[in-house]
Formats: sequence, C-alpha cells, structure tokens
Amino acid sequence: MKKSMAVGKTIFVLLVIFAFLGVFGNTPFSLAQSKVVKVGNIEPLSGPSASVGQQGKCARDLAVEEINAAGGIKSLGGAKIEMVYADSESKPDKGVAEAERLINTEKVNVLTGCWNSAVTYPTTAVAERYGIPFIVPVSVADKITEQGFKTVFRIAAKDGWWTRDQFAFLKDMAKETNTKLETVAFVYENGDWGKGFAEQWKKLAEQAGLKVVLDEPYPSTATDLSPVVQKIKRANPDVLLLVSNAADAILLTNTLAEYKVKPKAIIGSGGGHADPSFLSASGKNAQYMFDIVEWETDVGKPGVPAFNEKFKAKCGYNPAGESVDAYIAMHVMADALERAGSLDPKAIRDALAVTKLSSGPAMIASYDAVEFDQTGQNKNAALVIVQINDIGKGFERLSVWPKGARHAGYTPVFPAPQQ
Amino acid sequence: MLYVLEDAINGILMGSIYGLTALGLTVIFGVLKVINFAHGSLLMVGMYAAYWAVALTGIHPYLALIIVAPAMYFFGYYMQDIIIKPIFKAEKDVREPITVIIVTTGVWYILDNLSLLIFGPQYRNLPDNPLRGKMIELGGMMLSVPKIWGFVTAIITAGAVYWFFQKTRMGRAIRATSLDRESASLMGINQYRIYNVAFGIGTAIAGIAGVTLVPFNNVYPSVGVLFDIKGFIIVVLGGLGSIGGAILGGIIVGVIESVGPQFMAATWTEAIVYALFLVVLFVKPSGLFGVKYDW
Repeated sequence: MKKSMAVGKTIFVLLVIFAFLGVFGNTPFSLAQSKVVKVGNIEPLSGPSASVGQQGKCARDLAVEEINAAGGIKSLGGAKIEMVYADSESKPDKGVAEAERLINTEKVNVLTGCWNSAVTYPTTAVAERYGIPFIVPVSVADKITEQGFKTVFRIAAKDGWWTRDQFAFLKDMAKETNTKLETVAFVYENGDWGKGFAEQWKKLAEQAGLKVVLDEPYPSTATDLSPVVQKIKRANPDVLLLVSNAADAILLTNTLAEYKVKPKAIIGSGGGHADPSFLSASGKNAQYMFDIVEWETDVGKPGVPAFNEKFKAKCGYNPAGESVDAYIAMHVMADALERAGSLDPKAIRDALAVTKLSSGPAMIASYDAVEFDQTGQNKNAALVIVQINDIGKGFERLSVWPKGARHAGYTPVFPAPQQ
Repeated sequence: MLYVLEDAINGILMGSIYGLTALGLTVIFGVLKVINFAHGSLLMVGMYAAYWAVALTGIHPYLALIIVAPAMYFFGYYMQDIIIKPIFKAEKDVREPITVIIVTTGVWYILDNLSLLIFGPQYRNLPDNPLRGKMIELGGMMLSVPKIWGFVTAIITAGAVYWFFQKTRMGRAIRATSLDRESASLMGINQYRIYNVAFGIGTAIAGIAGVTLVPFNNVYPSVGVLFDIKGFIIVVLGGLGSIGGAILGGIIVGVIESVGPQFMAATWTEAIVYALFLVVLFVKPSGLFGVKYDW
C-alpha cells in the first residue's frame, strides 16, 4: 500500500513538472525570444529506411545552416529556421500521429517529409486539414499531388515521369545500339511506390510492344529473395525493371548475381538503388545496372562541385538525388518565407504557389527553375539515367541518358555482356 | 518438377537458418517462461559481431564462431544478470512475469538505437570471402553454398543443445528449473544462475545464427526485426520450448516461402504463413511438435 502511494506521488510530481514545462513553453514568455520559423520534418530516422532518412536530415541541416548563417529570413526580421525532426519508422500511422503532434504541440509553421510515399500520402491529409504548407522533397507516388490539396508542394518528379523516362531510355538505347528487346519483367516492393510504378509500366510496355513475362511484387521485409530470383531466371526477360528499398535492393542484386541471371538490361527506380551504401554493399554485382535519378554528382551546374565537397564534409558520403531534393526543398521554403513576410500558414502557402526560384544555392538542380503547377508539382523536375560501372576509379554512377547529359567520354554498356 | 525440387531444397536450407534464429528464442522461453522480445536485437548484435570479426581480420566467416559464440554467451549471461534478474526478483510470485516482457522490449529498442548511433544506418555486406556468392550446380539445380553451411550449422547446433539439456548436469538443472522452479530451488539449484546460463545459451545461439547469415545477408541496425517476427511464428508453429520444433517450424516456413512464389505472387506466401500460424493456434495451441507439458 505504502509503495503504491509513493509511486502515485512520483507520478503526480512528474505531471506537475510536465504541466509547468507545457505552460511555460507556449505562453507569452516565448514571445520575448527572437522570432523563429519552426519547420517540422517527418522522416524514417530509424527502421528499415533509416539510411535515407538520415541522409535527408543531413541535407536539410546543411541547407538550414546556410540560410541561418546568411541572416535567416530577412523579411521576418532575420528570423532563424528551427528544425524539429520526427521519426516515422516508415510507418503510415506513425507519420500521421507525428504530423498531428508537430502541428498541435510543436506549433510548426511548415512541414516536410516523409520519403516513403505510403507515409506521405495520409500525412499530407493532416496538413491539409490544418492548412499547414507541406513540402514533399521526394515521395514520388502520383496520387500525392493529385488529391486536390492546396497545401502540398512536391520538388521531385512524380512517378508517371519516372516510368515514362525509363521506357523512353529503353527505346533510345535499343535504337542506338541496335539491340532487339522483346520481353520485360517487373519486380517491385509491395508498397504504394512499387505498385504505382508497376501499373504504369504495364501500360507503357503495351505501347512499346514489349511482352510482360513476369509481374512480381515482393515484401520489402523479405529475408530471402532467391524464390523471386528463381522466378526471374525462369521467365528469362530481356529487360528487368525494379523498384526496391535499400536492404532488398542489395539482397536482390547479390542474389541475381549468385544465380547468374543476366538480362540485357536491369533498370532500378532510384530509392534503394540510389542509396550510397548500395554501391559499397553490392560492388561488382551491380556492374552495368541502370538507375534513374534526378541528380548525379556529375551534373554540369556551376555550384555542384562546391556543393559536393560541402556535403561530403558534413555528412561523410556523396550526395544522392534524394538528398539534393531535400536540400532544394529548404531553399524553396526560405524563398517563399522571404516573399510571404509572415508566419501565417495561408501567406506561406500562397507564396509557395507562385514560386519561381531560378538562382541561389538551390540551383544545383539539373533543371533551370523550381516552379509549381496548380497541383503543387514542380513542373521542371527532370530525370537522368545512370549506369553503374568502373572506369578506373572504382564503381561509380555515370550519367548516360538523355544523351546531352552523358558523362564525357563514356559509352554505355548495352546490352549487358552475357559472358 | 525439377523446379519444385530446387525450390524445396532452397526452402529447407533457408528454413533451417530461420529455425536457428528462432532456436535461442525457444530455449529462453522454455526456461524463463518469458517471451524475449529483444531476441531479434540479439541476432543483430550477433550479425554485427560476426561482420566485424570477419571484416577486420579477413578470416573464413565460420571461424568467427570461435569469437562470436562465447562473446555472445557472456553478453546474454550478464544482460540477464544485470538487467532482467532484478525484475524477476521483484515479481517472483508470478509464474509468467509480464513486466519482464516489457523490459525485453526496452532492451530491444535500446540495442537497435545504440547500433544506429554507433554503426550508423548504412547497410553493410561482407567483402569478398570464401563463401560469398558461391553456388554449386547439381544436375541443373543451383544451390547456395553459404546456405548449405548454414543448414549444417543449424542441425549441429540444435543437436548439441538437445544433448546438453538431456545429458549434462547443468542441462538437467536447467530442465528441473524450467519444470518447477520452487522445487528446483529446494533441491539446491540456484534459480537465477540457471536463468543467466539459459539466457547466455539463447544469446550464443543468436550469435551462431548471426554468423550463418552474414555471408549472404546485409547487416544494418534494424535487421533483427525481420527475423524476429519470423522467429515468433516459427516457435509457435513448432511448439514453444521445443528444440526440434524450432528447426522443423523454420523449415516449414522456409519451404512455403520458397515453393509458394512459383505458383503465386511472393507477397501471398506471407499470408499463407500467417494463416498456418492461426490454424495451429486454434487446433493445436501447443504447436505442431510441442508437448502438452513443459519438457
């Protein structure tokens, strides 16, 4: 009895302390401090996609350091940007709960996130309900900007463009190298992202006159992918199209090599294939694979080499397309805040809607300006296709398509040698 | 037909490794009567231990067993002694102390996040080693060499654990404690030391499983979760506390996962495994190979 009373007492004391913290955190006291813009970021910081989540965090922090060092948001009296991170663990329900918390408890002015399309999709609905602007750097599922929402803005190209360019690339390469391609196989993670890609591939394959010999979703949490690889081997496709998260991308690539499955072309869809640890963990097994990305370290824009260096010094690895989107997102946000001159969510939203950012650090992008269409989609986002190969400096990602962006002096290996 | 055979063999090989990952879980449950939710994390620690042992010294992956298994034994032994034992003592009147389950969940979160802090979120794969990517071709079938090694290791480990529990003095003391801890204590068996040893053995088995996985799988901080869920299903299928049941349960799951996809989408095999799990719970709650009474 005595013991339980003591426990009760402790809980009471803790509650009182929390109540005080809560009260002092939110009332006039905080107004005395200089103005800050609070930005809530929902990312998979732990769990199966922790790697990309941490990259996104590092890229955002880099951009925010630059913005704050340059004097913050001048139209708001030099207000500094304060980042609040929340962990989605790649779970949709967690993302929704964190969005509610960030808006109601942390009182954030802007939200960004969530990398996983399956998390971003329900989470943007929360932001829309409260009218808080939501910048999506990378979740590519088409439907995210097709919900008729007013507050959602996406930096990355949407998946309809990714799949379109994958097939355009196949067509161009088949013509350039005089290769006959007849069959295609789709293997993709069983989430919103993978299924969205597969639906569009089906239509595109039909238009391109390619026969679909395998259409196989697999669970991203698989611990053994040899059954799937066996299916690919038996279907014997000319072209293998993949959508994978990082752990399964590595497992799949290594298992494909073990079973000596060698289609004429394997094309990834960013995500796991673009993860910096993909190259180190699959090494030679990834040779000749293609991947589609928005950005590569060899993009020919003036600020890129300096950015690469700064990024590598801060984060310890090379920037990937998705980190660059996160970096750009922060500068787009700062630009909109500057023009809005207010922390009213509606003013920020309206400023974002008329964004036309064509200069400044964000323009390491491969395109010329960030502009949103009426659905909130960045209409200029463009894509490049890279090939993984070793041209004397270890395995790296070399731009091959569109032809104008091709890595100087590199001829893509297409089809992959059958040894 | 050859395809089905090839897939079945792959399923048996991979399944025995699943069984090995679940074996430690079943041993710990058999003795402590507690579901160890941290088991996946212990497996993750074992994988990292094996990874670093091989990556830093360049030895044959299975030589790492000499370092990993004893190191994991002491890790488990002292984790039980320092973290879990006090809770057991506080709850000593209950047969199945719920609080301990919550503590193991805490251990799971702490270990996963510690490894995220220490090793970072990167995916790691062993550099070239004598096992990586090796296949043997057998009459048109391709079989993975590291998985064959894993299969042999799983069978030997299960046999050794069985022998240890049946034939040694310590093994008999562990079984006595698992049957009735009060009486065992009255017979002069130190219950808490037995718990430490059982937890140590369970953790060492997780370490052995880690060694078998590292040659062909990635290592990253949350890798344990994938095997954890599978582990729970396997021990319930095979019968909680049953050593042979864990390996057989693992093989059943492995074969479903491997043969199933040839007739349907790979995602459906998960549904079949879970459905089987439910059916077993309804029809034979003690598991396919479990006994009605503990040991």
